Amino acid sequence: MKEISRDAYRAIEDIVGPEHVTDDPALLDSYAFQWLAELVRPNLSHYMPRPWAVVMPKSTEEVAAVTKVCNKYGVKVKPISTGWYHWAAPLKDDEPTVQFDMRRMNRILEIDEKNMVAVVETGVICAQLQAEVMKRGLNINIIGAGCSTSIVASASAYFGGGPSSYFLGSNSDNLLGQEWVTPAGDVIRTGSLSSGCGWFCGEGPGPSPRAITRGSLGTRGGLGVFTKCAVKLGPWEGPPVLEPKGKPPAYRLPIPESFRVYTVGTPSFEALANIYYEIYDNAIGYIFHRQFNLAGADLAAALWLTYLDPKGTMNDVETRSKDPEVGKISDEARVSFQIILQGRSTADIELQDRILDEIIRRTGCFKVERFCEQDFAEFTNMYLQRMGHKHCNFIWVGGYMGSWMQPGTPDFVKGYVKTAIDGFERDQKSGLLVECGGDAMMGCGSTLGGGGFFALEQFVSYDPNDDDSVRACIKHMEDAIEDCKKNGIPLGKEYLYLQIGWTDERIWNDLAKMPQQFVLNFQRKIKEALDPNGLGDRNYPWIPEGWGKEKPIVTAEAGKPGKSAAAR
Amino acid sequence: MGSKKEGLIQIVGAENVLDDPGTLEAWSKDQSLAAPLSPWFVVRPKDAVQVQALVVWANETGTPLVPVSSGGPHFLGDTVPSAPEAVIVDLSGMNAILRIDPRNRMAVIEPGVTYAQFDAALAGKGLRIARPLAPRANKSVVASLLERTPTVIPRLNYNLPEPLRTCGVVWGTGEVAFTGEAGYGPKSLEDQWKRGGAQVDPKGPGATDLMRLVTGAQGSMGIVIWASVRLDVAPTVHEYTFVPGQTLEELTGFWQRLTRTRLGDEVAVLNAAQLAQLVGKDAAEVEALRQELPPWVVVVGLAGAALFPEERLAVQRKDLDAIVQACGLKRVPALPGAGQADVASVFEGCSGEPHWKIRYRGASQQVFFLSTLEKVSFLVATVQAAAEAAGIPSAEVGVYVQPQHQGVVQHVELTLPYDPANRKQASRMKAVIAGASQDAIQGGAYFSRPYGDWADMVYARDADARHLLRLAKGIVDPKNVLNPGKLCF
Repeated sequence: MKEISRDAYRAIEDIVGPEHVTDDPALLDSYAFQWLAELVRPNLSHYMPRPWAVVMPKSTEEVAAVTKVCNKYGVKVKPISTGWYHWAAPLKDDEPTVQFDMRRMNRILEIDEKNMVAVVETGVICAQLQAEVMKRGLNINIIGAGCSTSIVASASAYFGGGPSSYFLGSNSDNLLGQEWVTPAGDVIRTGSLSSGCGWFCGEGPGPSPRAITRGSLGTRGGLGVFTKCAVKLGPWEGPPVLEPKGKPPAYRLPIPESFRVYTVGTPSFEALANIYYEIYDNAIGYIFHRQFNLAGADLAAALWLTYLDPKGTMNDVETRSKDPEVGKISDEARVSFQIILQGRSTADIELQDRILDEIIRRTGCFKVERFCEQDFAEFTNMYLQRMGHKHCNFIWVGGYMGSWMQPGTPDFVKGYVKTAIDGFERDQKSGLLVECGGDAMMGCGSTLGGGGFFALEQFVSYDPNDDDSVRACIKHMEDAIEDCKKNGIPLGKEYLYLQIGWTDERIWNDLAKMPQQFVLNFQRKIKEALDPNGLGDRNYPWIPEGWGKEKPIVTAEAGKPGKSAAAR
Repeated sequence: MGSKKEGLIQIVGAENVLDDPGTLEAWSKDQSLAAPLSPWFVVRPKDAVQVQALVVWANETGTPLVPVSSGGPHFLGDTVPSAPEAVIVDLSGMNAILRIDPRNRMAVIEPGVTYAQFDAALAGKGLRIARPLAPRANKSVVASLLERTPTVIPRLNYNLPEPLRTCGVVWGTGEVAFTGEAGYGPKSLEDQWKRGGAQVDPKGPGATDLMRLVTGAQGSMGIVIWASVRLDVAPTVHEYTFVPGQTLEELTGFWQRLTRTRLGDEVAVLNAAQLAQLVGKDAAEVEALRQELPPWVVVVGLAGAALFPEERLAVQRKDLDAIVQACGLKRVPALPGAGQADVASVFEGCSGEPHWKIRYRGASQQVFFLSTLEKVSFLVATVQAAAEAAGIPSAEVGVYVQPQHQGVVQHVELTLPYDPANRKQASRMKAVIAGASQDAIQGGAYFSRPYGDWADMVYARDADARHLLRLAKGIVDPKNVLNPGKLCF
């Protein structure tokens, strides 16, 4: 790795104070230790590349000043707020990188109740903001990755969908004004904020500058640091403070009169699509999600009933799964989803209830009786209103990889489910992945406000500390890619995960086959302008000019956009 | 000029290249205060291939193109060339409804599809589209959405460009690329449909929201050749109710609670002058109505769609009454001179002729911007004061407040009517609008759609937006052939 002058470290110390910067290898490795790393790193290592230093800024000005130092000394920059996935870390071993740990910027700057706007710094997590806005009868969209995630990260820099996006909007829908430090160290504001009119609008003036960074997956830390943003809030008719009850870990949230909480079973994925469209057309529902099947359709009922049993342990799951009564529940819940209704009044919730019953009747679906009983419904309510059970993602053996999740219409999703299930069942036969049934598919009812756009993510559980299991997971990912190609299905999340371990050239070769290259060239030019020294990484993807058209030249400085021989 | 004409004829055919003085004169100006400038040609492409050829030709010849999709009258100056030698690209003939997908409630339409045309196509399918207030019958649906014209049902407005989803675009470079979900797939809608795609997701492709580059752009980034739009289930029962007030402040808390709880379909705030201009059939009727109507009114549309429509209506009435009562207001089933059918035509139909903006005094100018709730009254008063100072009585100034983005944003629009034959008044309008707009900007109004002279006012204060937009423009239209002189380009 290239040597970086100690002057750079000293300059950063001068900006943030010595207590807020470190190059202690033990601390640096705590940042390199990232979920999914073993799937892409040499020797199945749990560690992504170690940062050159970690900096904990307190303000936008500090982020900008440190970034300018990084430009001077040729150090890359990569922010992490709350992290989720291996790509939050530096991506290459040979590129000294300052990792910005944003957790000190954790202030809720404003909650404008009347205009339904909250302004937050990057370190503010969903649980923190939700607790505050609920006191005011408002709520936020918490993304699928849970309540411990940064709102700025999901609104400004990543996907932004979750169980409540159906009603509360995705965090792309909800993004208002934002503040951003480019890789050049310039502070940029967007929307009404840049016109000096406050945070309330994310569009314009004229075309929307957010257009160059938000997209469907955001910049994922690859094009500077988003330091603040404002988000739209939505109505909350529940209590001002959530008061869970029950014994840990199965906390339960009482269901207020203005809410209903159901698990609805369907006889097939065809029926699931049909009931989806009926719910969508009838515009009912507050939270719409398929949650509990993340544990696998064969084991989900046994797991969750054990989870709710105060005396249950993980050792009981297998026994319980063989109980015929539990088997019956498994069958009922096999193709199911959760729906939470919120009414603005008693009359409203009663009507929504009636509409749902009629939809269920017309589509030949049913309520999963055991999952609709009070204890389970309260557990569902807690799980989905707060999204605080993310430890359950790792519940089987400590690791999982969420594959598939190609978003589309319900009919489109229905079309790939069988391939996903068959492929997972096939690969479970290795005995190296958790055998929970081929359908471990979960996902939010809509990744767009108002519904109509759905996805299912296959939860492939593997043991990250067992090399054979890790290899089996990698093989499953590669198999899933092949399954998609064979069946004409767009590639899913496993492809994104694996790319993190690829060389630039391999990625560009794949990108060059994309049917529409325009955006990749656009992003290259944006990067050239806003990141002249190549401090960001390929999480903001681009393709060298002319790449794939003729024999390319590998650029001298990896990580900087380059031109092919033809272009030069 | 001759060789230019030949080049255009080669692309669209002689019958679709117009340069007669009458046509050029008509396209040289609109109802706005933009300085007239005659184009050299008006061309009428019939498909995307011709549009792309026109953009390539414009790059080769350095000719400005001004894309226009709607029929006249135009009001915003965006269709008037700002650079000499321009060619108007009249897209009104590209008016195919390419697909209506009832199950996914999506449609794909060409830019020339008008509200009148689209309404008729959707009516038989039990569908509707979120729409602006009384658009012209010949108003392009795509152009309206691209310009982020406010729509009248706040609860459906999950983001400001909604219900616009994805677009096919001929960018200023001459390249064709799709936006959003459509940007990932093959460059053929038919192929995408075969694979189950419905062009639903506006995000992307990649880390870029290309759709948001063409919204608010006045045709300066690319020419949209098709757009996908989200549809909604049309109500089977629909009624309007009215909550009048003496002042705007008196009603602010009420409409805030309505939008916050997403109660009702249409929610809009109008003053007497505005409602009179919308429903009055002629100047005399507008004048009479203006005197008769309450000073302010919140119009609320209650609708029932899909299952149990009557029951939905009953619940909404009950919930609405609770809010009305809590706010110390009263709701009434009708307004003098503005019956259910009149109001329905404003919110669900198209403007009659002549267009409502010119029906009262023969001409009008608009000042519109976005605001938060607490500033609305102040900003309205600010513009009214400027109008009053210019001799336009406040009582004649139409005020329309449209909650957007589910109540987070308030679109505030003031219509200043005047007699174009009154030379003194007409000559003062430019200064009046400029002054009123400056005052509003000073007061915190956000001119998110900066047409005409507003562009300089807005971008002079907004270096960040200017910088990023010029950067983007330099990439997608490096020779600045698309509507040069608009915005900050």
